[in-house]
Amino acid sequence: MDSYQIDEDPMLAVESVIGGNVYQHSRVKQWNSSVTEQCLSQLSKLGKPFKYIVNCIIMQKTGAGLQTACACFWDNSTDGNCAVKWENESMYCIVTVFGMAI
Amino acid sequence: MPGMEEFHTGSEGSFNSDEADNIVKECIDNVVGGDDYSQSQVNKWTASIVERCLTQLVKMGKPYKYIVTCAVMQKTGAGLHTANSCYWDTAMDGSCTVRWENRTMYCVVSVFAVAIA
Repeated sequence: MDSYQIDEDPMLAVESVIGGNVYQHSRVKQWNSSVTEQCLSQLSKLGKPFKYIVNCIIMQKTGAGLQTACACFWDNSTDGNCAVKWENESMYCIVTVFGMAI
Repeated sequence: MPGMEEFHTGSEGSFNSDEADNIVKECIDNVVGGDDYSQSQVNKWTASIVERCLTQLVKMGKPYKYIVTCAVMQKTGAGLHTANSCYWDTAMDGSCTVRWENRTMYCVVSVFAVAIA
C-alpha cells in the first residue's frame, strides 16, 4: 500500500469538510459522512486492487479521555493501514484507513 | 447521550453479524465489565478488547480477513460521533458495530470482515 499517499488524502478531506468549523452536534453526522465518503472516493480513484475501509471519529473537545485501538487479521505483506489525527479548537478528528489486497 | 450515532455505508453479506455481535459483547463485558473509566488502564483495556475479539473471530475458522477497532471514551458529556465507509464486495463482506456503556464510559467496537477470494 502506498502509505505516503494514504497519509495526505485523509488530511485534505478532513480539512475541506470541517476545516474552519466549531463542533456542532446538529452537523457532526453530516461531516462524518462527508469525510469518510471523500476519503473512500479518493482511494477508489487510485485504481488499485484493494478493498478499503475508512473509519472516522469526531469528538468534541471538553477534556474527556478517548482511547482507540485496532487489531487486524490479514496478510502483512500486502495489507496495511494508517491513522491520521486532526484537531482544531473545538474538536478532534481521527481518520483511519485500512487497505486489503484482493 | 447526544452524539452516539453511527452512519454506516457498508451492508451485510454472508458475514454473520449476529454471531460477531455476541462475541464482541462478551469480550467487552469480560474486559471492562465492572470497571470505572481509568486513564491509566484504558490503554490496556482497548488492546485487550481488540485482541480478544480478533482471537474469537479467527477461531470461527471462516475464510475472512478481520479488522477490529475499539474506541473507549470517558463520560463527561462531550459529543462523539463515529462513521465507517467501506469499498468492498457487498455480497461477501460485512461489518458489525457494538455500542456499550456503563456509568463512567462508552465503548464502541466495530468488526469488519473481508472475504478472502
